[in-house]
Amino acid sequence: MKVGIPKGLLYCKYHPFLVTFFGELGAEVIVSEDTNKNIFDAGIKYCVDDACLPVKIFHGHVNFLKDKCDLVVIPRIMQLWKNEYICPKFCGLPEMVLNNLNGLPPAITDPIYATSWKNLYSWAQKSGNLLGKNNRQIKVAFNKAIEAQKNHKTGIDDEGYEIKIALTGHPYNIYDKFLNMNLVKKINNLGMGIRTAEFTQEDILAREADNLYKRPFWTFVRENYGFALNSAKEKKVDGIIYVSSFNCGTDSVIIELIKNGLPDFPFLILKIDEHTGEAGINTRIEAFRDMLERRLFNESHISTLG
Amino acid sequence: MKATFPHLGNVYLGVKALFDGLGIDYVIPPQNSDHALNIGTRHSPDEICLPFKIMIGNYMQAVEEGADTVILTGSCGPCRFGEYCELQMNLMKSLGYDLKFIVLDMPKDIGIKELFNRLSIIGSSSKKSRLQKLRAVKTAVQIMHLLDETEALAHYLAGYERNKGQCKSLLHRCRREAMKCSDPQEMLSLIKEYKKRIEYVPVDINKDPVKIAIIGEIYTVIEPYSNFCIEDKLMDYGVSTKRGMTPSWWLKNMALSPLKINSLDIKKASRKYLSLEIGGHARECIGEAILSWKEGFDGAIQIYPLGCMPEIVSKSILPAISRDYDFPIMSLVVDDMTGEAGFITRLEAFIDLLERRRDNVLFGS
Repeated sequence: MKVGIPKGLLYCKYHPFLVTFFGELGAEVIVSEDTNKNIFDAGIKYCVDDACLPVKIFHGHVNFLKDKCDLVVIPRIMQLWKNEYICPKFCGLPEMVLNNLNGLPPAITDPIYATSWKNLYSWAQKSGNLLGKNNRQIKVAFNKAIEAQKNHKTGIDDEGYEIKIALTGHPYNIYDKFLNMNLVKKINNLGMGIRTAEFTQEDILAREADNLYKRPFWTFVRENYGFALNSAKEKKVDGIIYVSSFNCGTDSVIIELIKNGLPDFPFLILKIDEHTGEAGINTRIEAFRDMLERRLFNESHISTLG
Repeated sequence: MKATFPHLGNVYLGVKALFDGLGIDYVIPPQNSDHALNIGTRHSPDEICLPFKIMIGNYMQAVEEGADTVILTGSCGPCRFGEYCELQMNLMKSLGYDLKFIVLDMPKDIGIKELFNRLSIIGSSSKKSRLQKLRAVKTAVQIMHLLDETEALAHYLAGYERNKGQCKSLLHRCRREAMKCSDPQEMLSLIKEYKKRIEYVPVDINKDPVKIAIIGEIYTVIEPYSNFCIEDKLMDYGVSTKRGMTPSWWLKNMALSPLKINSLDIKKASRKYLSLEIGGHARECIGEAILSWKEGFDGAIQIYPLGCMPEIVSKSILPAISRDYDFPIMSLVVDDMTGEAGFITRLEAFIDLLERRRDNVLFGS
């Protein structure tokens, strides 16, 4: 049996789990290609126009897989932490994909509550049963998949640059090179090092988020807000770049929260959608770098006489 | 304490009755207008949804009239509305307003004790006895229910009325006069009387008007300003409308949700297309689309603010429902840049489509 896994959204973070799990169950795992022009265009063609770019690209990935596999995995990630959601579009992702695309193979759409091993296992059990495996085989595959996921580390923490910035945003915006036009490399080429949220411990993130009036109910609020505030306060970075997709509901809130928390800290917001031009992004990052450089190295050399 | 609250359709009448009954000082913000939206848009984050912007306009206008406390409901669903209170607090503070916010969240999110704490802040500024307070709440809930029933009746009968515009003018007069009442009991009997008058509006039962269900995001559906008074316009066109989302429905839904026996019909109807609660009212939108098809409606109009996350999911599903049931559904997106003329054109075209579907006009095909 061929199981297709789309390389979109949170695949960048949880691919060891998905690939190992279905591989260990004896299925032939087919992962869609890295995002490219064809996948991008197909996603925009089939998805509703209001959705954000990462969701559109996910549609493109599923479209790529639809003739190549017998079963496609559409992870409906409801919660990664207790009482925290990702975004309503994640909860309704299978509905969006199944209704927007035609001619799809059967799909695994069971909700994933990754709040405990037990809850996650119930998803694994349902998916495994679909492949016709017994409980013992599922258990073995599940444990191996968890092991693979634990051994997998993502995140960027560059050393040896004179300017260091925090790159925040949803992981799929940061790690999808096609979507963000190779932003990580662009920033590095300009002589700036990057630090991402994975290197800040969960309890520090949670502590920062506890200062909010309302307990955040989106995982990315806690992660991005906590990371931005913590790295600015502890002077680990000189500036923050936030990659956000246009019309992202959670980002419209997170960005405001960060702005409120850090009123006088260099903060660049890069909005990305299907019409974004690369030149505009380049100009903005270069200008941000120039600003940081002046702020860090030249500030006291400017004549007060003008 | 001088309390205020954001507008949401006819809620201001219910809250007015409540505060009158409790004897609490309050300010009703001026009715939503372009001015409110403009000042709201000027200060709000760019990408936030439309209700936020209008609400900021409401607060600022209410502050000009002396309000110092905002009462707001909250939620911890995955929809953005839950974060409104935090952002609005920060925003009003940074604009230099000294406003206190009382956020009424669900007990499962903040704990029942905290909810009572927050409620007692409101209760303590009332000098009435506990019995009188309970009575005031009861009357306010009654008024809300009655108002929603009256509105629903007027919207439905508008398609059948003999004298064009009678339902609409009665409904508007009802709201205007209810606003003048200073005693909740007086308001209750007034609305009862108007309901009766609308019930006795002469109708032509031989008429078979176009019937449209209004579905979508709760704020933009209920608040007439945000949807360019779509229901009034449809009344003018002689179209019968139905809207499942009402403030009293919301109250009932909230009260029953801890027991998980809320809106069973909607849950049942939407199961095939969206079996899970994904936040906002996406599931209700899907359920109502199917229910209105079952009730023999001609079509449905979905309204939501730009970027509304749950409604984007339901917008993806609605074409499938439309195809499976042969039921026309139109999606209208509103935000602060929406032009009224374009809105009306689409509305008229949709009604034309529904009319022409009825008497098969495809001669010779």
